[in-house]
Amino acid sequence: MEASWYLFISSILFAIGIYGLLTRRNMIRMLLSAEIIFNAALLAFLSLASLDAGYGPVGGAIVVIAISLSAAEVGVIVSIAIMMFRMRRALDVYELKKFRG
Amino acid sequence: MSLLSDPLSVVFLLSSLMSVIAAVLIVHHKSIVYSAFFLSVLGVGNSILFTLLGFPIIALFHLSVYVGAAVTFILFSVVMLKEAPVVEPPVKALAVIAAGVLALIMMKIFSVFSIEPSFFLNYRDLTALLVTKYWFALIVAAIALVTTLIEAITLARREV
Repeated sequence: MEASWYLFISSILFAIGIYGLLTRRNMIRMLLSAEIIFNAALLAFLSLASLDAGYGPVGGAIVVIAISLSAAEVGVIVSIAIMMFRMRRALDVYELKKFRG
Repeated sequence: MSLLSDPLSVVFLLSSLMSVIAAVLIVHHKSIVYSAFFLSVLGVGNSILFTLLGFPIIALFHLSVYVGAAVTFILFSVVMLKEAPVVEPPVKALAVIAAGVLALIMMKIFSVFSIEPSFFLNYRDLTALLVTKYWFALIVAAIALVTTLIEAITLARREV
């Protein structure tokens, strides 16, 4: 299976994620759409890294670090969403304007 | 026909179909809880694709850290919240056009890479690289992970 097939799947996932980000205002739904984009980016990155044995291990190491940081980022965004829901009883991102000091 | 006779191609087709359907359901399912569940299905599909590309260790890491921890955390957090009322902006047609054009442009760019992936990453290579060349990035990532998780717990426990 050629690398371009993996990259096609990655671009389809990326487009679905962008569509989700553009059409949703719920904070958790936007986070889930951003996670689709993250998965698409990982797939594209590893597809390109697998084409050259010289870059393969480097791509793998960077992806390991990226997955760790993504797990941390998910924790922060979900806890902000929980705090926002406690304060406003809503997850609409337009409500975030009211958090300005 | 020859595509279906190769077992790896069949696995690729099934896992990519699973990933794309899961992604569509994440965006379109009415319940956020099910959307979060389908994110884990997307993670499993992507892990299979990573394995086919020659990165089995990354696939296991993705399954354990991302699907096992991050997605489970989202799922449990969403279950704790009541379903918020749905508010949708009226830009769907524009969003469909934007996403479609983006996918076509990316496919055109990516069609250049008509080469078979020929690489297999083993645990020894990855560990050696992380310990020797990327040790500092690994420490920074570990500190960032711990710090942000403490921050997340603090934010979530704050009484308003």
